[in-house]
Amino acid sequence: MNCNPTDPVDGVDRRSVLAAGAAGLSLSLSGCVDTVRRVVDQDGTDQLSLSIVTVPADADRESIRIAYHLESHLESIGVDVTLKARSRTDFLKAVLIDHDFDIYVGQHPADYDPDFLYEALHSTYANEAGWQNPFGFDSMAFDTLLEDQRRADGEQRKQRLANVLRGVADEKPFDPICRPDEIRVANTTRFDGWGQGHLATRRGYLGLKPDAGVDRLNALVTDARPSVNVNPISATVRERGTVVDLLYDSLGTVVDGEVLPWLADSWEWVTGSEANEADAEETTEPTRPTTTARVSLREDCRFHDGKPVTAADVEFTYQFFQDTVLGRASPSPPPRYRGHASAIDDIEIEDEYTLRITAAAGTDVCKRAFTVPILPKHVWQSELEDRLGNSQEFSAPQGSWSLVTSDSIDPTGSGPFQFKNNAERDHLTLERFDDHFTLREDVEGDHLLAPLVDELRFTVDPGSPSSISRVASGNADVTSSMLAAYSLGDIPEDDPDVERLESPSWTFYHIGFNARTPPCSNLHFRRAICRLIDKEWIASEVFGGHAEPLAAPVTEEWTPDDLAWDGADPETPFAGTDGTLNVNAAHDAFQAAGYYTDDENRLQGRY
Amino acid sequence: MLAEVLTQVAIVIGFVLPVAAGVFIGRERLSQTVSELRPRLRTSAPALLLLGCVLVLNRYMRQNEPNVGFYMTETIRSIEGEFVLIFQDIATPLLTEYFTASYIYGYTFLLLFTPLAYFALSDTTMFRRLLTAYSLNYALGVVLYVLVIAYGPRNILPEFVAETMLYDNNPKYQYLTGEVNRNTNVFPSLHTSLSATVGIFAYYTRDEYPKWFPVAVFIAISVIISTMYLAIHWGTDVFFGLILASVCVALSNMLVGRWSLTDLFDRLDDDSLDAVRDRLGR
Repeated sequence: MNCNPTDPVDGVDRRSVLAAGAAGLSLSLSGCVDTVRRVVDQDGTDQLSLSIVTVPADADRESIRIAYHLESHLESIGVDVTLKARSRTDFLKAVLIDHDFDIYVGQHPADYDPDFLYEALHSTYANEAGWQNPFGFDSMAFDTLLEDQRRADGEQRKQRLANVLRGVADEKPFDPICRPDEIRVANTTRFDGWGQGHLATRRGYLGLKPDAGVDRLNALVTDARPSVNVNPISATVRERGTVVDLLYDSLGTVVDGEVLPWLADSWEWVTGSEANEADAEETTEPTRPTTTARVSLREDCRFHDGKPVTAADVEFTYQFFQDTVLGRASPSPPPRYRGHASAIDDIEIEDEYTLRITAAAGTDVCKRAFTVPILPKHVWQSELEDRLGNSQEFSAPQGSWSLVTSDSIDPTGSGPFQFKNNAERDHLTLERFDDHFTLREDVEGDHLLAPLVDELRFTVDPGSPSSISRVASGNADVTSSMLAAYSLGDIPEDDPDVERLESPSWTFYHIGFNARTPPCSNLHFRRAICRLIDKEWIASEVFGGHAEPLAAPVTEEWTPDDLAWDGADPETPFAGTDGTLNVNAAHDAFQAAGYYTDDENRLQGRY
Repeated sequence: MLAEVLTQVAIVIGFVLPVAAGVFIGRERLSQTVSELRPRLRTSAPALLLLGCVLVLNRYMRQNEPNVGFYMTETIRSIEGEFVLIFQDIATPLLTEYFTASYIYGYTFLLLFTPLAYFALSDTTMFRRLLTAYSLNYALGVVLYVLVIAYGPRNILPEFVAETMLYDNNPKYQYLTGEVNRNTNVFPSLHTSLSATVGIFAYYTRDEYPKWFPVAVFIAISVIISTMYLAIHWGTDVFFGLILASVCVALSNMLVGRWSLTDLFDRLDDDSLDAVRDRLGR
């Protein structure tokens, strides 16, 4: 209303302004700004505009600083850029579900094994919602590389993976920036055994010996989402799935980068000839290389509700992770664990506790598939039936339908801890599951750490600095969330009660491009953007040296020599020095990509 | 942690309030207030009730914000750019201490002392206007909070405001403000609008409380600047906070004068207070 240029300004009387009310005021304001911008844009130019979406400093101070670094460099080369700060949930929704972004800055959960790149980049997932290919990147040649590395093991896989990594560095569907040091603090007065396991995984919370009289482990999280929703397959409320790891068991568990039997008692690899015995004669075409594992489950394991864990639950889980509607409507794969489940070709139940799992992959990737949470069939099947039964024309919007987002699904698993209660934005409390197999007296295996404390509470704390002081003062036992780089200086150095825990890390900060729409659909444009980012400066200034700059999004052992960090990105070195952009050099990079600047220093769009 | 901070604030305010009452209100007015306690409370009951309801509603809304807002941080930045960073040029550790105290203690003191001072006036009009203005501030404020989702400067430009940022220097206050606010509740600045409301009322009552007027204005201005200095609010939030204050004061002047509840009360027995409540409820 107030935007209408024909309204004489003086003619708007006070009462009608008041009547427009608070809502009108703010809404009409936004309208005005839009109008003004459109008018400015209409003077015959076509300035290139871009948006960068990330989370605010409260959620991740380093992300917004990287975003600001990029924003100011884009501005100085004449791009009309908008920096959008969104809550953690809305950020993931915009990027993973709605694909409503040009560029985003964030932390990638990645995985202990580089096969996460398969789901992150394979073109079959370009239109799916979730962690699978949020970039919308599609390249047939690339798909082949991704598949090739899956089918190999050992040194051969490493070489094939190097080709994938070179492809990422060349084509930049996303650009890894740095890997932050993963540091936490623990108070040693109440618990013994810190540092045995990675605190982003279940292992970090097992085998911790409480002192006499201590019945609760108080872990601090700076992310309130687990206190609101523990749905294991939601893409927008989960980051690394620490809570999922505790509530649910998986066939194998990761110990120092190796997958060792967990819910499975053991697995043995069945050789190719054995596996294909029956049909080897009939096929004349060379068969796809596959791996078959004969998996024996631990007997007499139970879910938290007392029902037994059997081979049927395992089979159900892998089928469900391929399609959450199990073929009853158009396919709706979940927004998490997509890559894990896609590796599995076939599952055959031999008996209640034995399965033959065949993967279209080598043993490395097959073992990665063993790390998904095993869901209770009876719980999820009935949740699915309830939803299917509700309407005639059933549809399950992939990645965002209620089964993969709801906070009301029974959190029953078979994991070492079970759900006790929660208070939104305050805490999530789990209690020890006394029937867990690790608590059996006859359990064998050094890696099978048991839940020892009665209760495990994740308390929401506003930030890393306050979390550190809370742990130091003994008000909490450990910081479960990884500490933000800016707060690391606050860790008391000579306090005998405070233990600094450093864990190997595989997560990394990165910028992601939406390759579905211009201008980021253009490879040369993406490469030119990457030249605006000084990774070395970010690692030393934004992270205070608590991060290592990256040219490849994987851990050191997988990085080929030509992509090892050597002071600058090998493909897209920063166009400037010490964090300061050389505008002319940047302009040249964009010009080479086919973008020119007009005489008012505005970068022109080509489309 | 929260209890610790709350106690600290309560102790300071509990000490300052009686001193200020002695200095600005004076013994005479205070003793008169005690003797006229019941009739004054009776006349002011509707305004008190209104404020109570608004505060409860406000708290409920802030805790259960419906998901209907619009992200506006981008818009605010496109309006004012990096205006708030000018405060970083004048920043000194001492000034940071001062503005932190203003933001936490000065604001609480202003908000609590002003109604006390007006309650001590024999004419309750100002008291009722003030409570109505408070109510309007909170009511309109929470509507804007729901509609406008925006993050403050500390959330967008952390590297430039690290020196003065409230929670970096005093993480404990995060427990206090976290209890009453979300980090997306920045537009408009309620610290600004309520302080400005108090400032405007101090101007109205400069004859009754001549010494209070300059003090109130000084504290109010300190609080308003502190919101930007401490990187909690944008200039735009403050600007609209000032507008909100003017609107609320103007509305409360209109409402409290016009509805003439005092006349209504005069015609009623003490016992029929419930009947009035019913009328208001309708």
